[in-house]
Amino acid sequence: MSGGINPSSPFGGVKQTAGRDTWRIGETTLTSRFFLGTGLFPNPYVQMEAIAASGAEVLTFAIRRVNLEAAEDDSILQHLQDRSFIYLPNTSGARTAEEAVRIARLARASGLSDWVKVEISANERTLLPDPIETLKATEILVKEGFTVLPYISDDPIICKKLEEAGAAAIMPGAAPIGTGLGLLNPYNIGLIVEESRVPVIVDAGLGTASDVTQAMELGVSGVLMNTPVAKAKNPAGMAEAMKLAIAAGRLAYLSGRMSKKRYASASSGLDSFKLQ
Amino acid sequence: MELIINGTTRELEAETLADVVELLGLTGKPVVAEADGLVVTSEAWASTAVRPGMSIELVHFVGGG
Repeated sequence: MSGGINPSSPFGGVKQTAGRDTWRIGETTLTSRFFLGTGLFPNPYVQMEAIAASGAEVLTFAIRRVNLEAAEDDSILQHLQDRSFIYLPNTSGARTAEEAVRIARLARASGLSDWVKVEISANERTLLPDPIETLKATEILVKEGFTVLPYISDDPIICKKLEEAGAAAIMPGAAPIGTGLGLLNPYNIGLIVEESRVPVIVDAGLGTASDVTQAMELGVSGVLMNTPVAKAKNPAGMAEAMKLAIAAGRLAYLSGRMSKKRYASASSGLDSFKLQ
Repeated sequence: MELIINGTTRELEAETLADVVELLGLTGKPVVAEADGLVVTSEAWASTAVRPGMSIELVHFVGGG
């Protein structure tokens, strides 16, 4: 790519990021840094609009019992036929490593994906992840050949343990699931990024575009969101806002932030030429 | 025979897991099955015999984050 701004690319015209800003999870190369959840949308039409606006390549799902009393097909997949996405089933509802492993095996049997988001909540009110059970499940599923992406609290030490256990990416939460509180501990997320040799994806708790930009400015590889898009007044509009926020934060991270100063420093001209 | 399907006891005239899926109107749908705690891929449904009291779970993908 040579000079000039390419309006179709958020990185167009920036020399050090010329070309595609891709990244990898396991053996898979990704272009989008947006993982979108598929819960809580008002209807399938709005959901498909939001998915299209997000540019997401990875979609998350949950696994539940088929409702045998309802004749209609309530599987999410019926709306996504003929589209190519990477499916990231989660293990939501699991309270132990054993339950999460069971759900992961069921998900893989669908033949759609060997990726799994390990999500093990020990507390109904906060849905915060159980780090010990999450580590156990990650160890087991890595050995079984899954591409494991654990959702975990923003603790740098447990994140490192999960990486050592073979997680393909680490997904620390910004805040509890569905709260939209934004990054409660940017310091920890920054440390996790510094320490990690696998991609870091902020998952859960982001509320709006500025939260997403802040996460990306800290150097995370991507974000996973559901509620802030699905529960927006205009989900497709918010999906696009999040996509742009990811691009803005990523570009700011790559371009390098100025250092913070305690006092003013003039940006206009030389003092000696001031009008007297 | 009596089978426990998704936690509920049902009376079904079935010999194989494929019969169960068909009788429940789920043939061709993106459903994953587990019989007595073991995952059974759809290719193996026709060769998986069911027996009275067997616990069968039928799951699928739903919206989630």
